[in-house]
Amino acid sequence: MLAAQICAVVIFLVMFILLITEKLERQVVTLSCGLATLVIVFGLCLRDGAAVLQTLSLQSFLSPGFWYRIGEAETSSGINWETIVFIAGMMVMVEGMAASGFFRWLCIKLARMVNFKPTPLFFLFMALSAVLSMFIDSITVIMFLAAVTAELARLLDMNPVPFILSEIFCANLGGSATMCGDPPNIIIGTSLGYSFFDFITNTGLIALVSILVVAPYFYFFFRRELVPMGGRAADPASFPDPRQAITSRLGFALSCAIFAAAVVLLVTHAQTGLTVSTIGLAISLVTLAAAGRDALQLLRKIDYATLLFFIGLFVTVSGLEHTGVLELLAQLIEQVSGGNVYIMIGIIIWGSALASAFIDNIPFAATMIPVIRTLSAAQGVDLSSLAWALSMGTDIGGSATPIGASANVVGTSIAAKNGFPVAWGRYCQAQTLPTVLVLIISTVIIFVRYL
Amino acid sequence: MEKQVLITVSREFGSGGHEVAAELAKRFGLPLYDESILDSIAHKHNLKLDKLSRFDESPINIFTSRRVRGFSNSPEEHVSAMQAHFLQQKAQAGESFVVLGRCGEEYLRDFPGLISIFVLADREFKQQRTMRIDKVSAEEALELMARNDKRRKYCHNQICQGKWGDSRTYDICVNSAKLDIRGTSDLLEAYVRARIAAM
Repeated sequence: MLAAQICAVVIFLVMFILLITEKLERQVVTLSCGLATLVIVFGLCLRDGAAVLQTLSLQSFLSPGFWYRIGEAETSSGINWETIVFIAGMMVMVEGMAASGFFRWLCIKLARMVNFKPTPLFFLFMALSAVLSMFIDSITVIMFLAAVTAELARLLDMNPVPFILSEIFCANLGGSATMCGDPPNIIIGTSLGYSFFDFITNTGLIALVSILVVAPYFYFFFRRELVPMGGRAADPASFPDPRQAITSRLGFALSCAIFAAAVVLLVTHAQTGLTVSTIGLAISLVTLAAAGRDALQLLRKIDYATLLFFIGLFVTVSGLEHTGVLELLAQLIEQVSGGNVYIMIGIIIWGSALASAFIDNIPFAATMIPVIRTLSAAQGVDLSSLAWALSMGTDIGGSATPIGASANVVGTSIAAKNGFPVAWGRYCQAQTLPTVLVLIISTVIIFVRYL
Repeated sequence: MEKQVLITVSREFGSGGHEVAAELAKRFGLPLYDESILDSIAHKHNLKLDKLSRFDESPINIFTSRRVRGFSNSPEEHVSAMQAHFLQQKAQAGESFVVLGRCGEEYLRDFPGLISIFVLADREFKQQRTMRIDKVSAEEALELMARNDKRRKYCHNQICQGKWGDSRTYDICVNSAKLDIRGTSDLLEAYVRARIAAM
């Protein structure tokens, strides 16, 4: 077992280092490390064929609970196909919405509602970012919102960076509010059997309190920059018309309907019994049917690299789980905390946040799920408290640095492409304090509400 | 100039590559694009120059940058991309010019008028020039040379297909210590004229 443990840890560390250096495509890294786990850890060291089958988890597709479930969900390990099917389905839906011009239309429509006035626009785009990120991945939200923000800022002769930085923060915060907002939450929810409703009433409440604090913070922090830079602002008549963003009226109407249906299905999935994999599959099929001849084009636009990245990641993390390495990590947390649940939760939330500020929060969350499961079983701590701590830590910690979360990278990249490069110093100056504030709020709410 | 000529000059720190590039630009009556590219970009976007110039010809730090779906947070990469866009736009408009460093030979490689030059020099020559121009001690000059060459090399090799300073990357490499700046400029002028005649 010791050899298997050493091999699993080495493979995992190699994966992390290769992911950080970005020398290879990230899906190539995780799939190679996943294959190494199957061959070296499960094959050569453990000689355990059952562990391979359990990790590949292909039988889960045949399980009725994968598609329809009422009551308590089972916790799962190995490849989390529910997460992968759901994310793939959401990708198809989002591509369909983007192709119809939905996101650009929504951004410009709302901006026009406040007559393109900087301060209301600043608050409105923060709110829009948070709300959209509750249902759509934050990368897509920021991709469209930051692009429109940069365009409007140019017309208004303003620096887009304050807008984009606050939108990024709110996208990460909004993502933490729901099960489908951020990949760590999807993994936590599907692995530990929590519903959309569980998230919205727990992490959602924390996110709501947090946004009420950080929105005024960002306004006071950036207020001096929310004015024209000294050049000439464009004539309001030349501002974009939301109707021009719509590429197809029928496609737009169908996209709106499909999005609304997806939201309803997600909000009610605990009551209807439909799992997120069923919802993901259903919305993707409806989107493809609605796209008609463009369906193939939509399928081509799916980010297959991310889906493969997830598959490889789950296999590599399984190596740590099956060899008991994650139990050792759980024991370490137990020892450090001395069995004190406050310290335990503190370690999870702040440790997750610190790690997520510098490394990808998806592998971190996937690794930590078996750890909190073990901690809960060994110490009798309520698993949900640990899950919400992990969720807030991984989702919010990523906001602290420009590389902590995908939305940060996309947002700062769009700002730079528009002539406003954002250095680490500038980014951290604006984002670190609100990150710490939200983590304090999260810690206090979890302590007061659950312990 | 009838034919489009795009002269790129890469250089070792202290070799006088900048002076050579300026001299070639003067002799052929061409604009010289060096850090002035960022001036133009900053002016266009109504930005402060220092917001861009601190990332000029700087390598991407792999520990502080990340790429997501083709998006990168690295300001160094974006500043380099802005310069590439600037140079390619000028070249596509049919303009002839001299560009100093900034991976010019990579960004302009598809243009038939490209003439790529690398200026190197003996260590002693570079040290003496650096001491004189930057008013530093002999040790400080060596340190400055090493630091700047390392930065340029990393920056170049992250972006370009050919290696920085490798003779296979350029059309001509010349040691400026052998003929001094003026003699090197004469030699390169003759080379450029020969290349133009052969175009």
